[in-house]
Amino acid sequence: MAHQAHAYHMVDPSPWPLTGAIAALLMTSGLAVWFHQHSMILMAIGTVLMLLTMYQWWRDIVREGTFQGHHTPPVQKGLRYGMILFITSEVFFFLGFFWAFYHASLAPTPELGGCWPPTGIFTLDPLEVPLLNTAVLLASGVTVTWAHHSMMGGDRKQAIQSLTMTIVLGFYFTVLQAMEYVDAPFTIGDGVYGATFFVATGFHGLHVMIGSIFLAVCLLRQIKHHFTSGHHFGFEAAAWYWHFVDVVWLFLYVSIYWWGS
Amino acid sequence: MFRAVFRLSSTGARCLVRSKPSISAPLASRCYSHGQVETDEEFDARWVTYFSKPDIDAWELRKGMNTLIGYDLVPEAKIVDSALRACRRLNDMASAIRILEAVKDKAGPHKEIYPYLIQELQPTLSELGISTPEQLGMDKL
Repeated sequence: MAHQAHAYHMVDPSPWPLTGAIAALLMTSGLAVWFHQHSMILMAIGTVLMLLTMYQWWRDIVREGTFQGHHTPPVQKGLRYGMILFITSEVFFFLGFFWAFYHASLAPTPELGGCWPPTGIFTLDPLEVPLLNTAVLLASGVTVTWAHHSMMGGDRKQAIQSLTMTIVLGFYFTVLQAMEYVDAPFTIGDGVYGATFFVATGFHGLHVMIGSIFLAVCLLRQIKHHFTSGHHFGFEAAAWYWHFVDVVWLFLYVSIYWWGS
Repeated sequence: MFRAVFRLSSTGARCLVRSKPSISAPLASRCYSHGQVETDEEFDARWVTYFSKPDIDAWELRKGMNTLIGYDLVPEAKIVDSALRACRRLNDMASAIRILEAVKDKAGPHKEIYPYLIQELQPTLSELGISTPEQLGMDKL
């Protein structure tokens, strides 16, 4: 490799953006084919291609950063900006669903009985499983911070333990929420209440799963000695994402589960 | 606030003057340590103005009604009148009748309030062609 007279990372040509774009095309057109022609094959191919793209693209980033030393301080700064901007875009994504919820619930239509919750909807008790879910996510916020401090202090064993605990808590949340979904007395088709409830909490649950996977990858990398006490941005990004997921839940809990009941 | 019921109106039944329910307590009797205190007249005027907006939209009508019904009071006839006229502008008969159901519910155990309100609103109900839930048989479950 030729020497560079700057601290930035000129990335080598990579096929993954192209395969990712093709995967996105196949997934979306596959979705349309599934709806109209009842065949899931195109969507399945797209999904597999997307998973392969993600695995290989991010594997390459780990190779470039951890093994080849390309992630100098300015490069890391760029990655930080990138993660912050991405999370900001996700905030706006959820903002839309909160807008929909408040639009519907502050001014309930005559079809709902002019009241919120709508007539005939039996809401979940916010002091039951939803409160437990809140405690679980808040606890996971504590454990992920514990993991970070362990990592910064060079305590490998505690970092692994607390990161594992964070993932277990995330998994526990997902299981509890899945049980709530199955046992809920209303469905996504139950008017605007069901629609706003399941779309908002559903996308949140998806983000919990994504965040858990991100943390699990960090756990694997921590076990394999990728992180140092001074350089572990992948973990920090995962922790930021996890805190974001927690905060979204707090807004969901207060707005939909508590105020909305 | 619904103090009107306690003013002896020339047409109203004098037997309406009963023990003061808490709903008619003026705001000034609350124990605020600071902050603006709004008089009943200011409250009523504010809400009449809200519903009188010429281009009020359906969302604002529903939001206003929900907020108003959330208060611990029965709205004055003039506020309900303004809301009913907003329903007329929005061609929303359903909401007009629902408003009457809602104010009846807000009176709670004070069963003399709703008939008095309907009496006060009768000219408007006739003008706008709004039937009461009772006339439609909707008050029976």
